[in-house]
Amino acid sequence: MADPKSDLLQGTLDVLILKTLSAAPMHGWGISQRIQQVSEDVLRVNQGSLYPALYRLESQGWIKSEWGVSENNRKAKFYELTRAGRRQLDTETESWERFSSAVARVLQTT
Amino acid sequence: MNGKIAPGIRNLFSKKKAERELDDEMRFHLEMEIEKNLARGLSPEEARREALKSFGGVEKFKDEVRDQSVVRFLETVVQDLKYGLRALWKNPAFSVAAVMTLALGIGANTAIFSVVNGVLLQSLPYGGGERLVRLRMDAPAAHVEDAGFSPLEFADYKAQTRSFDSLVEYHSMWFVLLGRKEPERVQTGVVSADFFDTLGVRPLLGRTFRKGEDAHGAEPVLVLSYAYWMRAFGGDPKVVGRVFEMNDKSHTVVGVLPPIPGYPQENDIYMAVSACPFRSRPMTESNRRARMLQVFGRMKPGVSLAAATSDLTTVAGRLKNAYPDAYPQAGFNVAPLSLRVEMTRQARPTFLILLGTVGLVLLLACANVANLSLARLIRREREMALRSALGADRRRLARQLLTETTVLGLVGGLLGLVLARAGLHLLVAFATRFTPRATEIRIDGPVLIFTLAVSLGTGIALGLIPAVSRRRDLVTSLHEGGERASAGGGRHRVRNLLIVSQVAISFVLLIGAGLMVRTLWNLQQVDPGFQTEKVLTMRVDLNFSKYDTRDKRLAFHEQLLRRIQTEQGVVSAATSGTFPLNEGGPGNGNGQFEIEGQPAAEADLRLQADFQQVSADYFRTIQIPLMRGRTFSPADRVDRPLVALVNQTMARHYWPTEDPLGRRFSFDQKRTWVTIVGVVGDVRQYGLAAAPSDQIYLSLLQYPTLSSTFLIRTVSNPMSMEKLARDTVHGMDPDQPVDHFRTLEQVRSNSLASPRLTALLLALFAVLALVITATGITGVLAFSVSQRFQEFGIRMALGAAPGSVLRMVLSQGMSLVGVGLGLGLAVALLFARLLSGLLFGVRPTDPVTFASVALVLLGVAAAACFFPARRATGADPMHALRNR
Repeated sequence: MADPKSDLLQGTLDVLILKTLSAAPMHGWGISQRIQQVSEDVLRVNQGSLYPALYRLESQGWIKSEWGVSENNRKAKFYELTRAGRRQLDTETESWERFSSAVARVLQTT
Repeated sequence: MNGKIAPGIRNLFSKKKAERELDDEMRFHLEMEIEKNLARGLSPEEARREALKSFGGVEKFKDEVRDQSVVRFLETVVQDLKYGLRALWKNPAFSVAAVMTLALGIGANTAIFSVVNGVLLQSLPYGGGERLVRLRMDAPAAHVEDAGFSPLEFADYKAQTRSFDSLVEYHSMWFVLLGRKEPERVQTGVVSADFFDTLGVRPLLGRTFRKGEDAHGAEPVLVLSYAYWMRAFGGDPKVVGRVFEMNDKSHTVVGVLPPIPGYPQENDIYMAVSACPFRSRPMTESNRRARMLQVFGRMKPGVSLAAATSDLTTVAGRLKNAYPDAYPQAGFNVAPLSLRVEMTRQARPTFLILLGTVGLVLLLACANVANLSLARLIRREREMALRSALGADRRRLARQLLTETTVLGLVGGLLGLVLARAGLHLLVAFATRFTPRATEIRIDGPVLIFTLAVSLGTGIALGLIPAVSRRRDLVTSLHEGGERASAGGGRHRVRNLLIVSQVAISFVLLIGAGLMVRTLWNLQQVDPGFQTEKVLTMRVDLNFSKYDTRDKRLAFHEQLLRRIQTEQGVVSAATSGTFPLNEGGPGNGNGQFEIEGQPAAEADLRLQADFQQVSADYFRTIQIPLMRGRTFSPADRVDRPLVALVNQTMARHYWPTEDPLGRRFSFDQKRTWVTIVGVVGDVRQYGLAAAPSDQIYLSLLQYPTLSSTFLIRTVSNPMSMEKLARDTVHGMDPDQPVDHFRTLEQVRSNSLASPRLTALLLALFAVLALVITATGITGVLAFSVSQRFQEFGIRMALGAAPGSVLRMVLSQGMSLVGVGLGLGLAVALLFARLLSGLLFGVRPTDPVTFASVALVLLGVAAAACFFPARRATGADPMHALRNR
């Protein structure tokens, strides 16, 4: 189940989901496809990680859900970013950038 | 806004729905994945297979979600609990005050509810349950109420009615039991063999009566009551099989009854009909007019009371036509009365009123705790607002408060339960005066459930009160002086409302207590018509078989009187059938008579009066005044003309314009005539509240009785005569029991016991309510003053006199009290009539009571307001100004 390429840390998955939803509300499958798409197939989200993450994010109040109709007329659960979630996204993005640039710096020194 | 709670709660309470939604979501994802695969060109089966492969661990995930929600919810609950307990611990003054107040309120309710449950709600402890009835026979046209059945009548009803599984007879007499250390007088229930089977009572030990044991010639057997078994034999199981002598026959004990209410009387033992010499003698059994029995029965399943009534009426009509001599013209009405109602009729109004009272007390206690709690919240207003602004979930905060108050409620309830348990035997003693079912009062299942429900309800209600009161907005709360803003915020309004309701409730309770106290006072002021000081009474019931002739009884009484009267310290002595206010003793005879010269028009209009047989010195001994003529003398013996005395009520009733002296009447159908030789004063025979009825006194020498009371008027302490009396009686007949020693004072006081206890209880609750309300008023005002301290200081700095500040605070407090008083007045006027069944000599809307209660309440309230008001005047202007 765990593909090394797409084995994402929990926190990272959270921020990716938040980012995906910042553009527009989406259902679970749509989120996984989008992440895969935008990352050019590098990151593949596994359902076993996606839905727990969505559940967790919802219970923390950063996203909220609503049942709706999908583009091909099926009943689906749509997720949307909340105001708190938007704030969280900013915080997390900032800390992620700091983190990744720090890692890059360390790796650059020989 | 959803916060941590929502999905957890959602999952907890609508698990199915959440799971279904999860399934739907997964299904959607799977279908989309399959479609994607199909679009890639896979075959349907491959598409599905691929999709499922990438869809690992769904079930595991579902499980995780499920567990998480429950676990998380429980975690938060435990957290709230810990937080709440810590908060209560750190604030002991509040916690202790709140718990004690709640304990008192809930405890009182538990106590009274256990009484109501045991007596009124619980079904009868008899297997027959709701189908058990007592038959009641009246002839209202002939002024006959609740007549007994004769053995012949009973047999007819038993044979001819169709609505009953069985009918059984009952009467109670006392006999002398021999075979123990001393001859003992035992109250005996004489019953049909299937009496206990009909009621549905199974014996605790041994057996009850068998079929046929009530027929002539059967071996006499006894069944002991539980109370008697414990009292006389210490609960020894070996008593079954023992033989005792009674009425010159040997009786074997065959069983012991379980503890059941003593209805219609507390009997020590039970015997079958054939063993009672009085009941089974031919004279009684063949006389249709020997009306000595009570009849009970169990209706057939599905038969209504109305159907049974018409069945009985049919039979009654038939009997009247068959035996016209034995029945009044209009016949008897016979009706079945539910046994349960009969046993609780007297108790119902009092107990329900008490329940209402303690309910009000609980409301009062809750209002008090709510007030304390709100005071705390107001102080923590800033803290709460801050926490809320920093992101604390408001719902979570509310939930924490709810947990705190629920804990308070439960702890208070537990303590209250302990209090109620402690006072249980007092409650039972109180209830015994009203109903025989008092023995069934206990703290059992329904009472515990009630206590739990009340505790939880109270805790939750208290937790929700802050939610009801509007909070001030965030900015004002956070502002430095926010707390000191004028007393107008939502929370303050609720506190004032609570005070108003407390005052109203106190007023209502005080009115109830006041009316009862006045009733008690009125009863105590009633002139009983005789003197109660320094008189000793005792019961001397002669053995039926030993003193079977008139002469023997006469000889005994005369000898006893002679011996006692010569003793030192005795002013006078008398024998009598009974004496006034003698509850639980032999009653007066009640009989029909006709007056010479006033012929009775028809059989059903025959006159009735109470008869009492007394010795010559009776009137002197208890000091009933003689109005006309003379009292009895030793010359009024059997062989002399029959004489009688009547009381004033009777004289006025039948001879309003003429002198009754010399008139004659007969109570045995003109066979013998009795002449009236005197008129005596009225006495309160049946109770201080009951008006005197027609009373005829006969000379004991001419009509000697079996069961009698003996009265001695003494020079000094009446009880000092007890030993002497006992010795004298035993000196004459060692087998003769003499018991029930009481002074007339005790008897009189005893007759007031019920209203006294009721008044005591109501007064207790009312005073409690008043104290709680007064402290509540003081608390609210003190708090308000402390909040406005700065303001007062400024006012006085600006030149206001301390007196004006005092007046301000006082008027603030008293205006609340005034509103509460008005509300209480309206409620009391509306509901006071509920008490009218318990009152004597005072109207439910008695103005004097209302006025005095209002004054007392105003006075106490003013005192309660005074102390905080005085403190307000102590506000130092300089200090206030310096503290901006």
